[in-house]
Formats: sequence, structure tokens, C-alpha cells
Amino acid sequence: MAPRISPPSKVMASILRCKRPLKIRRQYATAAATAITPAASQAQMTRGEAPIARYPPSQPPSYKPPEFRKSQLLRQYASLLRSTPLMLLFQHNNLKSNEWSAIRRELSLALRKVDEARVAAGFPAEQLEEGVKIQIIQTGIFSAALKVVEFYKPETSPSTLDPTDPSTPSSATIPVFKSDGSHLTHTLSKAAHDATAKRSHALAPLLSGPLAVLTFPTVSPLHLKAALSILSPSPPQFPAPTRRANPGWHEPSVQSGMQKLLLLGARVEGKVFDVEGTKWVGGIDGGLEGLRGQLVAMLQNVGAGVTNTLESAAKSLYFTVEGRRIMLEDEEKGPSEEKS
Amino acid sequence: MISRFITEVSTVFNPFSPKAKTARLFLSFLPPNARQTMKITTKLLPRTSKDPSFVELKFSKSPLFFSTVLHEEGSNTALVEDGMQMKLDAEKLGVKGVIEEVDRHSRMLSRQEELTGN
Repeated sequence: MAPRISPPSKVMASILRCKRPLKIRRQYATAAATAITPAASQAQMTRGEAPIARYPPSQPPSYKPPEFRKSQLLRQYASLLRSTPLMLLFQHNNLKSNEWSAIRRELSLALRKVDEARVAAGFPAEQLEEGVKIQIIQTGIFSAALKVVEFYKPETSPSTLDPTDPSTPSSATIPVFKSDGSHLTHTLSKAAHDATAKRSHALAPLLSGPLAVLTFPTVSPLHLKAALSILSPSPPQFPAPTRRANPGWHEPSVQSGMQKLLLLGARVEGKVFDVEGTKWVGGIDGGLEGLRGQLVAMLQNVGAGVTNTLESAAKSLYFTVEGRRIMLEDEEKGPSEEKS
Repeated sequence: MISRFITEVSTVFNPFSPKAKTARLFLSFLPPNARQTMKITTKLLPRTSKDPSFVELKFSKSPLFFSTVLHEEGSNTALVEDGMQMKLDAEKLGVKGVIEEVDRHSRMLSRQEELTGN
């Protein structure tokens, strides 16, 4: 039977020869008279920093093993936090699955109603209802992701030059890829971990116990108002839907689930709000359009006032001069009339 | 935690204080059907508030038991107004301490129930 291990090829043989002591190689060289290029040193061969990434661009080295669930959760939460400007935090006390599904159903119905009302009022369709999501979070990983998003702002964006790509200019400086990944700046990188390990966020005391977050893709006070009136109604500002308008909300599963949800706070555009602050955001009349309208009206009033003030001096001068002219004309007329 | 004998729970806490964790965790320890069997009120303090958080409990009545509880709980850190009410300082006790207090009282009530043959 033929041996399974094939004899070492020429290239392999030359590599093996290189590792031998210099003395022996010189003997070989003189004996066989073959030219052997001086090989790189052992350190260069094992730990050299090649300008070629040793990892696929979609899987850079991470501080914690990327195959762990918590690593992927951290990435997921960080991307959630970066993409949501408006987020409400709820404590959920032993909700059953049917209560969760009932609450989600009511929430999406109410938000869809707001969307339709906006379209009917002439605003462009946004379909915010599909982006609003309530989900249970793992508090420890969520706080880590929050710190990475808030406190870790890497200056250098990762280079996208690929030395193996033919379109890359030969004069371009190719970033050096270190094998330990110390130059990387992504969410799971060691740099992100080191920058945020000792910090603490204002939202940190809230992140304990059973927690769920309601995330909105944009800051929309109208949608927030609808969501608050479903999830934690407080009569004067956020009235619960009436039994006639929304009989589904008065079902026992929704009611018992709603009682067990407890609004704790909110994060609006990176700022932390308590319950009162959340209600204030939800209570902005007419949503962002209303706020813009108020601002425009205020600025217009200011402008009108300024033009009035500036005009008034010219007007008064005009009236004075005009009055004087009429007076002089009268004086001229007066004697002439007397003469004739 | 034995929550069978609790009839009323009222908690006050500021969620932005780290010490509110006890009260919040206590609420999460109540069973899913707690709202049907007991009356639960939660008051959230504003963010800047420094008021202490506490858990106030009422237990179902057991008239025979009145004097014993008063005697036993009187030496404890927990403030017991009468046999049926408990006001626990959530900041000092921690959630384990709160549950221990509740269980101690509930065990006595359940023993009482067994002895009276209900």
C-alpha cells in the first residue's frame, strides 16, 4: 500500500532548509550551488504585522468571544440604541404570554390609528407603527451597550481599503492590521470595552429587575401619546380609550397586563427623563409640526415687531415733514388769498 | 415567597435611586394573578426626590393572632402597627430581608389557619 503522506514538495523543502542553522545551509549552498533568498526571521514570520487583514471584514476580532450570545446581544442593543431616539423603559411584573400579545396588539392598533389620522390630515405617510416595538431586555448587557453608545466615540473611522482589491491605488497607505485587534474601533472591540468599563450612565439605576423597552424610530409626540394612553393611562392628559371607541383595550388580558407594566423613565435623544418628563414629551401639542408652527409664529411676531419699530422712525419723520410742508403751503396760500 | 395572605401592597420609590431596587424587585416577586387577589398601589417619586422608598403590606385578618405578632415583631427593625400591617424600610432590608419578613409573618398565619382547621 502506498504511503498516504506525500513527500514534501520543493517549496516545503526550501522552507524546512531555512529553519536549519546557518552553518549547515552554507554547506548546502556550496555543495548544491542553489540560490536561496534570506528568509524572514522567526519573529517576523510568526508575529509580523501584515497589511492584510487576517479576518473577514464582517467578523473583526472582538474583546469577548463573538460566538457567545451576550456578545451578539450587545451588538444588537448597541445598534438598537443608536437607531432609536425615543425609548421608554417599563418594568414588567410577571406578565403572561397572552397578556403580552394582547398588549402588543392594542399598541399596534392605536399607533396605526395615529398614522392614519396623520395621513388623513395631509401629512406624508410615515408608517411609524411598523417601527415601534416593545421588547424585553437583558439589563446587564443593555447597560453595557448603553455605555458604549454614549461614551465611546472613536475618532478614526475604520479604513475600508483592501490591498488585494485591484482598484486600490498603489500609493494609498494601507492600514496595518494587528493580529490582536488593538486598532479596531467597533462595538465589541477592546478599545470600546476599556473606554466604558469604569463609567456609569444616568440610566444605570433603572436597569435592574425585569425590564422591557418600547422603542420609536423617530421622536413623535403624537405616537408617544397614543402609546402612553394604552400602556399607562393617566386621566387628564393621557386618557384611556373608552369602551365604545376601543372595546379591545377593555379585555381582561389587556387590563391585567397593563396593570403589571410600570413606566419607569425614558431616553429621548440621548437625554434621560423621568415619568413626568416623559409625559411632558408626550403632551407636546400637535407633535413636532405643532412645535414648529409655534416657533414659526413666535419668530414672525418678533419680525413684525422689529419692522414696526424700524418703520416708526421713518414714518414719524415723514409725517413731520409732510405736516410742515402742508403748513408752509397754507402759509403761502393764506396771504395770496388775502391779496386777491 | 408566601403571598397567599397579603391583601394590600403599597410601594413608594424613586426609580432613579439605586436603593429603589428592593421595592421594584418585591413587585416583580408577586405572582401573575396578584392584581386579582390583592390591592397593589405603586407611587413613583420624581427623579430629584430624596424620599425613602418603602413597602407597606397588609395581611389578611386573623383575630386570635393579634397579640403574638405584636410581641414578636416589636423587637424587629420592621415597624408593625398592629397584627395586620407592616411597613418595611426597603432601603435597609434588601429584597431578601423584605421577603424574609413577609414569609415569617405568612408562616405564622398559615400555622394559625391550620390550627383553626380551615
